[in-house]
Amino acid sequence: MTYSLPMGRKFPKISIDLTKCTVPFLCKKCLQACPMAVFNVARVMSKEKRLVEMDPRVDGNYVLHAPRRDKCTVCNICIDVCPVNALKIEVPKQGRSKVETKGVQWGDKE
Amino acid sequence: MCFLCEQFGDPKQGNGLWYLNPTNYARNMYKLRAPGQGFAGAEAGLETGARSGPSTMDLLTAIENDDYPTYDKIRKALVARGQGSQVVPLVDADKVLELCSPIGLIACICRKDSRAIDERNELEYTCMGMGVGMLKWERWPERYKGGVKFVNIDEAKEWNHEMDRRGFVHILMLFGAPYIGGFCQCDYPDCGAIRSAVDFGLGPIKGHYVAMVDYNKCNGCGICAQRCQWGALKFEVTNEKANVDLFKCFGCGLCQTGCPRGAINMLERTSVPAVAEVWR
Repeated sequence: MTYSLPMGRKFPKISIDLTKCTVPFLCKKCLQACPMAVFNVARVMSKEKRLVEMDPRVDGNYVLHAPRRDKCTVCNICIDVCPVNALKIEVPKQGRSKVETKGVQWGDKE
Repeated sequence: MCFLCEQFGDPKQGNGLWYLNPTNYARNMYKLRAPGQGFAGAEAGLETGARSGPSTMDLLTAIENDDYPTYDKIRKALVARGQGSQVVPLVDADKVLELCSPIGLIACICRKDSRAIDERNELEYTCMGMGVGMLKWERWPERYKGGVKFVNIDEAKEWNHEMDRRGFVHILMLFGAPYIGGFCQCDYPDCGAIRSAVDFGLGPIKGHYVAMVDYNKCNGCGICAQRCQWGALKFEVTNEKANVDLFKCFGCGLCQTGCPRGAINMLERTSVPAVAEVWR
């Protein structure tokens, strides 16, 4: 089985404004609305907080990030549900293949 | 035989399957951290755990940069790191639960990460921790936010059957090979293990079985197609039967346990030559 994604494909860039999105574990609207579960919520780690239970209501204890953006379809549901307008999705321009295919016909030999 | 069986299996125990070898659940297999040694992996917490090595995020960056050597390097590192889990059907899951002790029901870390689900109700627990590691769960209050419910073997089996009825895949987790420390109940796309397996061919290896549909018994009701988390089973319109892609089948057995007519048989993977050595 080959699972590889085509090399050179550009994935949507999801930028999250962490000054606006401060309590993702409490709000969790985008996390639960995304059809492809693109988002993840992570705990902010520091030495003294390592073995302590974190309060999701405190600003900045958890951060939102989008590790699975290969599956983002830019349906913009997350932007619609976000109460603080912290999300922005940049649609990538697909790069052209490095191989020049202009003028080559089917059956042509290299 | 998969490579885990070759390394950790015992031919005298459970047909040589590694997870039916009781030695792999033994207390002395549990790796204790040496004094002064730092935290690593998922134990360290969500964010540092994700940063303890290359991740699929780095894989995506390499794809975007059209950088095949880096992509290949990261992929190989992830394959080597993720050799610690296997899909197990319900029949074998029952046998596994008789070998380990203690068994604790816990909240799922993947669902906490991906859907911010913080299970505080004991009835909602979807993962299982096994072995001596569970006895010191209180050291990680953030990980075990919802607490731990210790159960006996019969309760664990009953809970596992309930999870199977709901449609979760059972994946056995290694914590430092060959120590078996957890039993995950996964679905796509919320769980990290199943997700990396389907999207990238990383993570858990396939089970020792494959599903085969008996066309004489199948009436095309489509229940099995709803339960397949791997995209391997679909409804074939032409002859109105279920159809399995054996190369994608992970042998979780959910289609078999869900089939009302008993039309799906789980064959030994080794008895089907083409997929006998397809583990990813």
